[in-house]
Amino acid sequence: MASSVEQSPFFQAHKAKGLLIVKDPPKFDLESYIANYSGYTRIDRLHHIGAHSPYLAVDAYRLAIAQAKRGKNVELYTTLVEELSKIAPDDPAALTDTTWAEKKTREVREEHDRLEHELKSYKNNLIKESIRMGNEDLGHFYYDTGDFSNAHKAYMKMREHCTSPKHLADMNLRLVYTSIAQKSWTNVMANLAKSEATQLKGEDKAKLEPIISACNGLALMCAGSYPDAATAFLGTSAAYLTAEPAANITWQKEVISGNDIAVYGGLCALAYMDRVDLQNRVLANSEFRNFLELEPHIRRAINLFCNSKYSACLEVLEGYRNDYLLDVYLADILHIIYNRIRKKSIVQYFIPFSCVTLDEMASKFPTTDGRSINDDLEQMINQKSLDARIDLVEGLLISPPTNPRHDVHSDALTMAESYDHSLRLRLTRLNMLAAGMEVQQNKSGDKGSNTGGGIGDTFRGLGSKIGF
Amino acid sequence: MSADLTGILLSFQPDSPDVEKRRDYDVKARNFASQLSNISASHWSKGIDTEQDVLTILNPAVNSIAYAFALRHRLAAVVEKRNVPDILQPGGALWNQLVLFLETADPVQLRYVGKEWRSLVEWTESIARACGSPSLAIAPMRSAMTRLDPTTGTFTSIHLIFVQLCLETRSYAAAEPILDNYIHTLPTKVPNVVRENLEYSVPCADVVSSGEYMHLNSGHTDKVSLADIQEYYVLGAMAYLGVRQFKKAQHFLEHVLVAPTSSTANGFMLEAYKKWVLVTCLVDGKMGSVPRTANGNAIKTIKFASKAYEALAEAYEELHNMSKLKAQVKMGAEMWAEDGNTGLVTELVNSQMRSYVSRLSQTYSAIPVSNIANHLGAPADQIGQYIETLIREGHLNARLEETDKSNAGVVLRFYLDPTQGPLAKSEKQQQQALFEQTLRTNTLAEQVKDADYRLTLTKEYMENQKRLNKRQGQGGDAMDTAWEDSIDPEEDIMIDLH
Repeated sequence: MASSVEQSPFFQAHKAKGLLIVKDPPKFDLESYIANYSGYTRIDRLHHIGAHSPYLAVDAYRLAIAQAKRGKNVELYTTLVEELSKIAPDDPAALTDTTWAEKKTREVREEHDRLEHELKSYKNNLIKESIRMGNEDLGHFYYDTGDFSNAHKAYMKMREHCTSPKHLADMNLRLVYTSIAQKSWTNVMANLAKSEATQLKGEDKAKLEPIISACNGLALMCAGSYPDAATAFLGTSAAYLTAEPAANITWQKEVISGNDIAVYGGLCALAYMDRVDLQNRVLANSEFRNFLELEPHIRRAINLFCNSKYSACLEVLEGYRNDYLLDVYLADILHIIYNRIRKKSIVQYFIPFSCVTLDEMASKFPTTDGRSINDDLEQMINQKSLDARIDLVEGLLISPPTNPRHDVHSDALTMAESYDHSLRLRLTRLNMLAAGMEVQQNKSGDKGSNTGGGIGDTFRGLGSKIGF
Repeated sequence: MSADLTGILLSFQPDSPDVEKRRDYDVKARNFASQLSNISASHWSKGIDTEQDVLTILNPAVNSIAYAFALRHRLAAVVEKRNVPDILQPGGALWNQLVLFLETADPVQLRYVGKEWRSLVEWTESIARACGSPSLAIAPMRSAMTRLDPTTGTFTSIHLIFVQLCLETRSYAAAEPILDNYIHTLPTKVPNVVRENLEYSVPCADVVSSGEYMHLNSGHTDKVSLADIQEYYVLGAMAYLGVRQFKKAQHFLEHVLVAPTSSTANGFMLEAYKKWVLVTCLVDGKMGSVPRTANGNAIKTIKFASKAYEALAEAYEELHNMSKLKAQVKMGAEMWAEDGNTGLVTELVNSQMRSYVSRLSQTYSAIPVSNIANHLGAPADQIGQYIETLIREGHLNARLEETDKSNAGVVLRFYLDPTQGPLAKSEKQQQQALFEQTLRTNTLAEQVKDADYRLTLTKEYMENQKRLNKRQGQGGDAMDTAWEDSIDPEEDIMIDLH
């Protein structure tokens, strides 16, 4: 079945566009995996899996469509159905339920009108609390229909009508939630900063903290600052796993699960921390251990890396590559993180040696996409991340001998020379200033161009004469 | 009369005991020079071609002041005429006397006859030009300059004439000794107070900087303008390019770029920048950054006018795509020719391959020549020869060797340890270099101090200082009166607010 799905027009088009397709089945079981999530992120994740894995496509789409039909987002429903019809036209779920769609569209419009109307009357009554709730309802409604930018606006309008810190905090969390759905990470970070600044005290604040740091990690990771993301994830307290819903959002189900934190945090840390840090800040971190227990293979990979078993570590990670490619947030950045881990392993591996054969390197660090180990090493050396030289004749990777004494001497000499030169330049300038010489603005109008031309002429003659 | 003249001429003896003190020497020499300048031209022309000829009686090395006057009057009489007479022709008697004087004159006495010295040097140049062999003037001029000032670091109008002459005659190597001595002083107006009657500041004193006896009043130089100095540096850079001293040329061009400016640029700076972009590529293998002292706005202006050159530099850096540079060079051929930079651009293309090969040393310890040849798209033999020349000329610290292994053929092997190979420097050499550098830097520091001192003598500095003093004084006064005047402190606060 998988092969016929793979040949379907949908995946053919995907292939033509050069988009990612995960051919092999992942290790996880779709049902139990998706049971971890609810709300919008569930559909989003199902959609991502369906669109990228021919193996799971049909199941994922079916689940997604079933859930979409329970919601208010008609547009999302029709897109899902259309895509499924391109994959498996014969599937019963691939037929658009037009009566439902029409009915739902009408209902949605009616509800929208009703909410707007209510809000207007609240505004006339000038009761702050009612206006706030009216806006909130409108925001929820927009969110459910998939109109995130309007939802964002509606939540923003709540601000001036908030009367307690709790209200403000809830509003900020809602804003974070919406911007995560929009995947606009700078907004997420801005709103998180605001949430952090709210004047909640004691227990309320403590409840909020794990959520903020987890979302912060997610936003940082998706925005490409992996080291910061690692720090944020590692700082997330284990209370996140059991946290009560805040602002009516069950964060660990509707945004990122504990498993996600373990995977994201573990990978980011593996890619950007050295062995000592990994040992102290990840493995010995009693809070983060709770997360790592959910994903034992990440823990194993980090352990292997710390014990200098780099190829085993890479093997473990490679085994889960497909799983992670089907993760909606990791899909685009996984190759960056994996490459980084691989390069770091190579550098670490090479440190104790003065000379390693290229064949040995190739067997320890097998390449993935048709590149030879030479290319990789060459690139790493050129980027100065690996201090080594390649001997193409003997097939060796050589660590260059260092001579600090010689280096210091020659560095001192070059520095002195450049210092000497810049001092001379300044001397010239000082002299010119002392003599009252300056290139003048007003002269450049007529005289400047004159001299310019004149000089140009003489030089041109000279230039051609002397050949320079 | 002629005997009289001789008597007067010999009356100043630099070695006599009564001029042992610097100040006495100064007064005597000064009086002697003014005495000589009052003698009319007719007196000087007496006794030519006889035993009594002053030029034969006087010794240029001892009686330099008198000799300079005599020579100048003699030349002035002859030069007026259209045709250059035989005795003036290079090889003629008078020419020989002139050259002898310029090469052997007493440096201390020369400090008192600035005007004469300058005319003599300028005539040397014009005579040589008039005879159609300008290059003959180069050596005498150079010795004249070093004779007067061994550092040749005080800029004179002679500097510019000299460089122009060298470039015209394409004798770049001849210009090098002068160019290598950087300019540390510009002739300025030195106030008389500092100059006269001080034991250690009179011109004949053993001074650190030649700028103390060569200034605008001493007559050694014509008035120099900024354009003169910039022209000197641009031409000097071109001379360095002529002898393939790219690094020195780069430094010279930078001197043009840092000229003080009121946020505007002139033609020299534009010209210099264009060359600088190319030369920097040749020196560093990539485009560098303009010296920080340069004016930002001025640089922006000239950058805007030199886009084509910057594009070349960018293409140069793309070592994996060499055809791009060639295409760009071809596209702009007219422009390079018009700016007189064709030679430099060609040099750029040639050196790109060198840049590529030396970049390899950062990645490989050994690489078969055939691999390089594949990348460059040229036959292996040719590349092999090319690399051999690079090694010979000292661009690569590497060796070529034959291997019998895995049909690799000839292999380029780099020396990884900086203390090995043909370019290696022993620690002793390094130490020596460091030692020399220390000396150079110390001298430079002295000269900077000197320049700083000169700056404190300028009118602007004095005025600023005066103003500062005044302000301080006034500030104190104002505050005092404020305290006395204001009876109600609150009102005072209000005044401050307004």
